[in-house]
Amino acid sequence: MATAFRRKRGRIVGTLDQDELGIVVHLLKLTRDFVAPERAETGDPFLDLVAGMGETDPDPSEPSDPALLRLLPPAHRTDSEQAGEFRRLTEHSLRTRKAANAKRAIEVLEGAPSSKLELDDGQAQAIMVALTDIRLILGERLDLRTDEDSERLRAQLEASLSGEAEMDPAKAQQMAYYDFLSWLQESLTMALMQR
Amino acid sequence: MFVAASAVDRPAESPEEQGDVGLLERPLADTPWVTLVWNDPVNLMSYVTWVLQHHFGYSEAKATKLMMDVHQEGRAVVAIGAREKMEADTEAMHGYGLWATFQKDD
Repeated sequence: MATAFRRKRGRIVGTLDQDELGIVVHLLKLTRDFVAPERAETGDPFLDLVAGMGETDPDPSEPSDPALLRLLPPAHRTDSEQAGEFRRLTEHSLRTRKAANAKRAIEVLEGAPSSKLELDDGQAQAIMVALTDIRLILGERLDLRTDEDSERLRAQLEASLSGEAEMDPAKAQQMAYYDFLSWLQESLTMALMQR
Repeated sequence: MFVAASAVDRPAESPEEQGDVGLLERPLADTPWVTLVWNDPVNLMSYVTWVLQHHFGYSEAKATKLMMDVHQEGRAVVAIGAREKMEADTEAMHGYGLWATFQKDD
């Protein structure tokens, strides 16, 4: 069972058991692959520069998958031309940064010597920020559109867990993941805010 | 970084197009732009507060106030300034998973 993260002597300390760690790493890998740019960086700055030079006009249209659209939202509410221009200029680097952050979070969690995690602030931040992207994707798949949707789904999950109501098993599992990741993110955030 | 965007998106009614350039015309660069953060059902109140503190260097009290405005009013202006800065802030907010937009202050 996980225990909440706390700031102890400058480190962010908490525990995740092997099952929990496995789930978080699995979901981080799915998220990294989902958000990574379609033209991946090669790691060679010169090759990346040359590859990027062919794209004089990257696609400024919105992603068709609503979850990807939530990760890369329009930057202007009413002016689609400005939103498109912003997307053309920023989307590739935003996707690259999100994928790199997820990769860092995976490396931190996979490199943990035991279920007791002792993180520096940068490592804890990488995990906390990456958890946002997983939760945004799951939230979209669970049709969370308003604050009331979140409360309603939470009530459904609790009713399902206590046997009072039936819930589609796949949806119940997604909701359980979402709930756990929310708890984990809240725990990391509170620990990071402790001074 | 966003020079091209600014040049392209010059407002339609620029002084030249109106034909009459007043001496007291406010330079375009002085027109403030804003970065807005919009409420969403996923982001945690604590996390939004942390992002505003961490990215903008706001005090916990100011960040908490802005977060509550987002939560209760549906949106809040989190920064005011030059267009290029607002675009950079918007991109940074997207990096943190917050839904941000930029626009001319009205």
